[in-house]
Amino acid sequence: MNLAVFVKQVPDTAEADLVVAADGRSVRTGDAPLQLNEWDRFALEEAVLWKERTGGALTAFLVGPEEHEDALRRCLAVGADRAVRVWDPALPGQGPCAVARVLRAAVGDEPYDLFLCGAQAADDGFGLVGPLLAGELGIPSATLVNRLELQDGRVRCTRELEAGWGEVVDLDLPALVTIQTGINEPRYVSILGIRKARKKPIDLLGLGDVGLDDRRVGEAGSRLRVEAFAPPPAGREAEFLEGPPDAVARQVVDLLREKGGVL
Amino acid sequence: MARLADIDGNPVAERYELTACLQCGRCTGGCPVGLRSPLNSRRLLYEAVVREDGDALVARDEVWDCTACRTCSDRCPRELDPAAVIREIRTLKIEGGRIPTTAMDALESTLKHGNPWGRSRRRRTQWAEGLPVPSVEDGQESDRLWFVGCTPAYDPRCQAMARALARLFHAAGYAYTTLGTEEVCCGSEVLRLGELGLFEELLETNREALQGLEIREVVTTSPHCLTAFRTDYGLEIPVRHASQAVADLLDAGRLPLVRQAPLRVAFHDPCYLGRQSGVYDAPRRVLAAVPGVELVEFDRCRERSLCCEGGGGRMWLEGLGEGERNAQRRVRDAADLGVDAVVTACPFCLLTLEDARKTTGLEDTLEIVDLAELAARALDDPADGPGEEERS
Repeated sequence: MNLAVFVKQVPDTAEADLVVAADGRSVRTGDAPLQLNEWDRFALEEAVLWKERTGGALTAFLVGPEEHEDALRRCLAVGADRAVRVWDPALPGQGPCAVARVLRAAVGDEPYDLFLCGAQAADDGFGLVGPLLAGELGIPSATLVNRLELQDGRVRCTRELEAGWGEVVDLDLPALVTIQTGINEPRYVSILGIRKARKKPIDLLGLGDVGLDDRRVGEAGSRLRVEAFAPPPAGREAEFLEGPPDAVARQVVDLLREKGGVL
Repeated sequence: MARLADIDGNPVAERYELTACLQCGRCTGGCPVGLRSPLNSRRLLYEAVVREDGDALVARDEVWDCTACRTCSDRCPRELDPAAVIREIRTLKIEGGRIPTTAMDALESTLKHGNPWGRSRRRRTQWAEGLPVPSVEDGQESDRLWFVGCTPAYDPRCQAMARALARLFHAAGYAYTTLGTEEVCCGSEVLRLGELGLFEELLETNREALQGLEIREVVTTSPHCLTAFRTDYGLEIPVRHASQAVADLLDAGRLPLVRQAPLRVAFHDPCYLGRQSGVYDAPRRVLAAVPGVELVEFDRCRERSLCCEGGGGRMWLEGLGEGERNAQRRVRDAADLGVDAVVTACPFCLLTLEDARKTTGLEDTLEIVDLAELAARALDDPADGPGEEERS
């Protein structure tokens, strides 16, 4: 099976002090280190598992500057055969439509059977690149997939819905799926593995190489424009439960039942 | 099928001369987790020699139970190194990518943030707030470096170790500098988890930092950093543990410990300080200098000390199933000795013993104290806070 996976490098914001930038339309992440987008880790693992199971080849794609290349090195380290990075000075600031258009162009005429994306990115959280790319490619897609099986030449996808519900859809190949976290257990990517993968080439493509002009990408080519970012309003203060442990435990259970949707 | 081979394809049996193994069982007999874990170094060594299917050995998950205390290697009459064979198997697991997620998180954090605790580099010096701790970032250079370490820098309980040590150094007028927020994990646990590539990167970074600053002596808070620099890096400059630095300051009459700190204590020898670095007397010299402290020795003390199970990356691995943990046994032994406190000199021992004190119901009767914390109590002004520095 000929597989393609699309990945993105995002800031690790767990410990970062985020501030809205002076233009009001972007977020400054300070010295937050970059990492492979959480959902993409699962998409990559799923792609590698499929490659191991069915044979064939895996290509990894990324739209981003050189400092995002580490994401592709990780893909190569765990089993991708080829990596493609697309970048151009016209690309920053683009919304999901433009990203999908760039990825579509980067895929070219290569006959992939299955395309995998993370269900969303940890930074902008649109969850749109996958389905938009499927539209560009003119192929069926399923989002939020947490189980993926090959059946009689089609892929059976279980989609995660709310409250533990799932939806099963069958897609003809070629197809695109966006992967939900938890579908598998992503493997550890060792430094020695990444080092060895440095020998594998990363193809760098510019806009001219993929046949796009700068009016169709970046901010100019996006159908969506971010107007403003604002930090969330401070929430209500935390509530402290007091009393003997058994009484507190009972209160916790009551609260979870009432508000949490957990029990 | 092939016999167990290391990451470069060399047969492990040859590389570690395992055919010399007598199968005497001293390694397994001394293993501190042997009673609760299927980890059996004698069997692993035997199978590395005779088993055709090396992959089956790599599939063994019990290698994660090893605390890298090195009792097995120290006791081997043929001077073989079972601990290193276990580490080789861990490396093969790492390269295969299938490792416990808790260890994965610690390793990825070390790569991203320079520490295994998932904390930002920027916050590395927060522990020192209000204390006059010099740093190369503020242009305060010295040829002696205090390497604070990740756990004393970030863990809320262990920050007290670092604060106490800073106060002792300050009181003695001890000259040193620190790397501030530029300090990066020593890699001791990274190496013992088997992540060789990441360890090499940390070694490079730290070596360059030391050379660039023309450091001639390193003092570490943690015995794990001590072992990394001394044994794993093979640094040519002297590397000493904080307990040695404090003991020397006391011997030189530079550290006035004047206040009474009346406590009956037992000293828990950390594996990486005692057995792995040969430091047994310095912490006892410090204890002897604290007015009012009476030392009662554990039956298992010095070379025979009982591993607390905090080493070998075990701080980032799940505990072993049922049964009493060594740290729990340790605090119960301390309670039987009738002491008020267990004193130790390692952040991992401090954390495992603190946990054990709580899980054994000894929270109200037994204290776990770091050596520097205890010594700092005897300083003329024992208060720990910004106010103290303003007054002095």
